[in-house]
Amino acid sequence: MTTQYLTWLLAIPALSALVVLLLPRSWETATKRFAIGAMLVEFIVSTRLILADYSEAGYRFVEHVTWVESFGISYKVGVDGISLWLVILTTLLSPIALYASWGSIKTRIKEYAFSFLLLELGMLGAFVALDLFLFYVFWELMLVPMYLIIGVWGGKDRVYAAVKFFLYTMVGSLLMLVAILYVVASYEKLAGHYTFDLQELSTLFLPAVPQYLLFSAFALAFAIKVPMFPFHTWLPDAHVQAPTGGSVILAAVLLKLGIYGFIRFAMPLFPVASQTLGPVLAGLGVVGIIYGAYAAWVQRDLKKLVAYSSVSHMGFILLGLFAMNRHGVSGAILQMINHGISTGALFLLVGVIYDRRHSRMLDDFGGLAKVMPWYTLFFLIITLSSIGLPGTNGFVGEFMILAGSFFSRTSIGFGSSWFVMTLLATTGVIFAAVYMLHAVLRIFWGKVVHPENESLPDLNRREVVSLLPLIVLVFWIGLYPKFFLDKMNPAVDSFISDFTIRYYEGRRTVEPHLTDLDELKLRLKGVRSLAMTESTGEDVQR
Amino acid sequence: MSALMGLSPLLLLVAAGLAIMLVDAFTSERSELALVTAASLFVGAALAGAMLAGGDIAPAPDVVTRYLAVDELGLFFDIVICVGAGLSALLAGGYLREHGFERGEFYVLIIFTAFGAMVLARAVDLLSIFLGLETMSLGAYALVAYRRTSARAVEGAVKYFLLGSFAAAILLFGSALLYGATGHTDLAGIREVVAAGEADATLTILALVMLIAGLAFKVGAVPFHMWVPDAYEGAATPVTTFMSVGVKAAAVAVLLRVLVGAFGDPVSMGLYTGWTPVIMLMAIVTMVYGNLAALAQTSVKRMLAYSSIAHAGYILVGLAAVHEAGSFAVSSVLYYIAAYTVSNVLAFGSLILMGSKGKEAVSYDDLAGAGRRHPMAAFPFVIGVLSLLGMPPTAGFFGKYYVFSAAVSAGGPMIWVAVIGVLASAVGAYYYLKVIVYLFMREPEEDQPIAVPMQSIYVTVALVLAGYYVLKMGITPSRYLDWAASAASSLIG
Repeated sequence: MTTQYLTWLLAIPALSALVVLLLPRSWETATKRFAIGAMLVEFIVSTRLILADYSEAGYRFVEHVTWVESFGISYKVGVDGISLWLVILTTLLSPIALYASWGSIKTRIKEYAFSFLLLELGMLGAFVALDLFLFYVFWELMLVPMYLIIGVWGGKDRVYAAVKFFLYTMVGSLLMLVAILYVVASYEKLAGHYTFDLQELSTLFLPAVPQYLLFSAFALAFAIKVPMFPFHTWLPDAHVQAPTGGSVILAAVLLKLGIYGFIRFAMPLFPVASQTLGPVLAGLGVVGIIYGAYAAWVQRDLKKLVAYSSVSHMGFILLGLFAMNRHGVSGAILQMINHGISTGALFLLVGVIYDRRHSRMLDDFGGLAKVMPWYTLFFLIITLSSIGLPGTNGFVGEFMILAGSFFSRTSIGFGSSWFVMTLLATTGVIFAAVYMLHAVLRIFWGKVVHPENESLPDLNRREVVSLLPLIVLVFWIGLYPKFFLDKMNPAVDSFISDFTIRYYEGRRTVEPHLTDLDELKLRLKGVRSLAMTESTGEDVQR
Repeated sequence: MSALMGLSPLLLLVAAGLAIMLVDAFTSERSELALVTAASLFVGAALAGAMLAGGDIAPAPDVVTRYLAVDELGLFFDIVICVGAGLSALLAGGYLREHGFERGEFYVLIIFTAFGAMVLARAVDLLSIFLGLETMSLGAYALVAYRRTSARAVEGAVKYFLLGSFAAAILLFGSALLYGATGHTDLAGIREVVAAGEADATLTILALVMLIAGLAFKVGAVPFHMWVPDAYEGAATPVTTFMSVGVKAAAVAVLLRVLVGAFGDPVSMGLYTGWTPVIMLMAIVTMVYGNLAALAQTSVKRMLAYSSIAHAGYILVGLAAVHEAGSFAVSSVLYYIAAYTVSNVLAFGSLILMGSKGKEAVSYDDLAGAGRRHPMAAFPFVIGVLSLLGMPPTAGFFGKYYVFSAAVSAGGPMIWVAVIGVLASAVGAYYYLKVIVYLFMREPEEDQPIAVPMQSIYVTVALVLAGYYVLKMGITPSRYLDWAASAASSLIG
């Protein structure tokens, strides 16, 4: 039986976008309802993916159709325990962000819905693509709708922010394209045919120098997207100028694509380079944690504060990922979901007061707890999740990451570096509490200073409906993360072990060659049974 | 008769051109010459396409093939040039009538220029190269000067004519030297002598330099690009469209035939011994200069002129990769030309659509807010610039992917050329996006006259066709890739 769930998952937003384009301009309400409806259907279809069995590593729902035969380009999609949750995150947050947008977007409804559906298509495509060309196509496809969302419906300096966003991402991804072409050309020289299939390409082992260059090209593209310090400068601009819905999607999903790119493509393809440079990237992640936290602390614009807190949180994820052990990587993936939920919700909440007061300055508020009690409650819950209070999702993710990084054994020469990085990252948790609670203090507690604030209406139905699922998830992940981790762990374990095997093979590589992973495993088994008596698996390397 | 089947697209155009001249002399102003012209050009493209897809080309008599190749490469360029010219004729049908200077000779000129371009693309003898080049160029000079009341058009035409004459003279001089060095005027004969190492080296190199200079002028590569911005800006927009696709394609074709055909032996092509470094350097300079200069423009038409220089640079990247990547690189050049043709027609056509009588859209300011007022008219423009920028899923993306892929598989310094190329095209993002910024994110100044889109069935049809192929070549490119590959293998085995 052929299951084409993933194709349907991509087809629904694509077809709906076309339908939206054809609807008459005057049918505004119908357009809104249709777009939301399509996204909800999409979400329901995507939940079917959770039901599959992920107890063993590997891709599910794989579809493979040749696209351009002479170049070996194919339409190959699949999900594993890692991309599963990112797909669900996308399908969940897209309707929420769109629904929340209808509070503030009053012009060009049709184009907005069209851009949003196209954006969802691009994001989902990038998460499920198993062919590098296909991935690149979706990766670039996301760029245009996001550019339009910021540039057309954004704030005062929207054009500057939109162009900056586009150019930053474009430079990175074009260099990645050259790197992809190099990998494919090297593969072709050895195998005699072109392919962009990730699984086939990961049998390719390249010598150190090209690996470092290629990894750098990939890493640049992904680091800009994450964004990793010092490539983060587009983020505050983009967030501040983007409309609420755009900010939510940007923070919740687009940034995750950077990390996902590392996990799915950069690290498996270039193991030696990522093993060596990984700690450096983790170190930059730590710089980002502290820098982002400090920068967030001094912001007077609430949206900018949340934007900088994103830089800080994404630093944690990088740290966990490059720790390269089960806790670190699983924690990083879980934290991607958590960050999507909590920061997405924070941007929604910022949008709520912005819609009412047309200001996001901390100084313009104060004492809102008396005026808007429900809003205060929601904001507090999300704040606590964002600073990682036990019982909320943020705690689980950050704890796992810190534990992973503390016990990490990948080395850059001095043994205590991970200890130091973990220590510094931990201070980031404290800073997070400082800047978030500082903001809460300024907005909610104290007296109502500004008379305009006295009669602000509390959350309306739309806002509650869009926030509620996120609040539920905050506690679900916080109290019972096993549901999520169980699906993820087999994929993570095999990611780490495959990576390690490739790393040792890569270390010995002088001439480019093709070696299948299964063959390496067999070879390794022989070595390991010999070495078992005297050493642990650590120094399998010869 | 069947012996001439391989040349049928050319013969058809001659007949159509003569017929239109006659019809024009005896009919009134309102005759639908644009339609007839476009239809005959499309039939020409269809004939060539049928032969290319069928894979069997009737062998032509020796007396023809000595001068004009009857091969897949020629057919491929027939299609590109006919499609480019046909779409330009459709655009002209809307544009000239809207702005009130439609006359029959315009269409005759377009047909004969296209014919010259096709002859040039098939030329395999130095004599027929020169003949084709002059047939094409004379038509092009006249087309640029067609709007004779406009000072800019005349200025552009004079510049183009003077510089073009020098370029032709240099090319002719080069041909003479080459004949002196090898004793042959046919490219196959030249190849034999050169490959055997029997040609006089100094003379051959001098001749090659002159040939490259003369042809690079027509391609619009830096440093032979000076005429491009003025001629492109001065000419009526449909003419600019045709120049940037048809004329450029023919020049690339003959560049391929000379460099890869006549000088295609390993030594003449070699990275350290042949023409490759020259083309490589020219590619780099052209890409960088074209993109940087386009940044500074305030006129969209001029920006597209500089962007056409930049695209010549990408084409040269593919050409420079031939020494290692062989027919893969040649077919990447061919595919790029085809993709660029439809994308550029889409961009220029959208610019035409944006203006109407009395207020032609030329500068960015003219576009301000037009996308908000007329979203359907702005939509093809967005697709067009995204394709020129190389965003998926458009033809331009596949084209760029293909030439850079050829460069990377050539290896060595070509990889760095590809890196420079992608960085240059990232610069391109800025000015292409500026079009979208003005269309959708700006409002016109208070006292500025607003450009109103024209209503023309011709322009609409041209845009729909171009847009369809831009998307088709980006989403399901296989068929066109196969065509390009078979055309490439007829040049280089």
